Amino acid sequence: MMDDLDALFAQAKAKPMAPSAAVMARVLADAAAHQPQRQAWPAADARPKLGLFAQFAGFFGGAGALAGMASAAMAGLFIGYVQPSSLDLVTGAGAASASLEQVELLPDLSAFLTEE
Amino acid sequence: MPRDTLAELDDEALLVLYANKDPDAARLLAHRLMPRLVGYAGRLLADRAEAEDIAQETMLRLWKLAPDWRSGEAKVSTWAYRVAQNLCTDRLRLRQRRGAEALDAVAEPASDAATVVAGMIEADRMAALDAALASLPERQRSAVVLRHIEGLTNPEIAEILQIGVEAVESLTARGKRALTLALAGQRAELGYEEAE
Repeated sequence: MMDDLDALFAQAKAKPMAPSAAVMARVLADAAAHQPQRQAWPAADARPKLGLFAQFAGFFGGAGALAGMASAAMAGLFIGYVQPSSLDLVTGAGAASASLEQVELLPDLSAFLTEE
Repeated sequence: MPRDTLAELDDEALLVLYANKDPDAARLLAHRLMPRLVGYAGRLLADRAEAEDIAQETMLRLWKLAPDWRSGEAKVSTWAYRVAQNLCTDRLRLRQRRGAEALDAVAEPASDAATVVAGMIEADRMAALDAALASLPERQRSAVVLRHIEGLTNPEIAEILQIGVEAVESLTARGKRALTLALAGQRAELGYEEAE
């Protein structure tokens, strides 16, 4: 009887239960839904897109150079508007408005030349 | 990757390819595993539709696990059988709780076997085997099906059922004896008498 049983097992093994087309379709749909997404490779010549400021800074030689120029421009504007007094001394010297005392460097001899 | 090359790969390699977005790996893996899972669950549950649900659920868990699959820890097929086994156990418990008498429905074809034509003998034998299997306790049934129909080794079955190898041997031996007894009364109906 064990031989009969082995024969039955052999028959069962030889005829596996085929899953229906419907369940196979469901399984493959599940697989597609849960598969990690396929990603496109980035193009080899793709470069990061520069912003407007970065392009402007690049024209002057980078952000550092642009910062230096901006500092100088701001200092110029500041000096122009505020006009510090120490600068007045420099720029005002020799101006026409300055009053000059006349100093006689040669003594007047007329007092000695009187005949009385 | 070309399909011819894929066909030579083992299950684990296919699973890794699936996780790495290969479009064909899932189809091939499903075609390898689904017949085994449906067959195994079908014999445990004696219900084709439920078996397909179990197989689909097992595969779904496999797809979700794929990116985190740890290579070398277990064979994919062994893992899948274990998941299917656990899902079947849950279903059987649910049936018991509901008091469903699903097993009775399976036993009927065997008892009607004497009335069918000779050309149907093979189908009757399978029905008788399924009915006899359904009469076994769940663990014995699992062990016998995995060993003698699915053709797995005892260590693999031990891993699936999460028991020792000796326990597997004991389960399969007792299961076979019980099957022999269950089938003994049906020898004539199944066409074995003429063969002797």
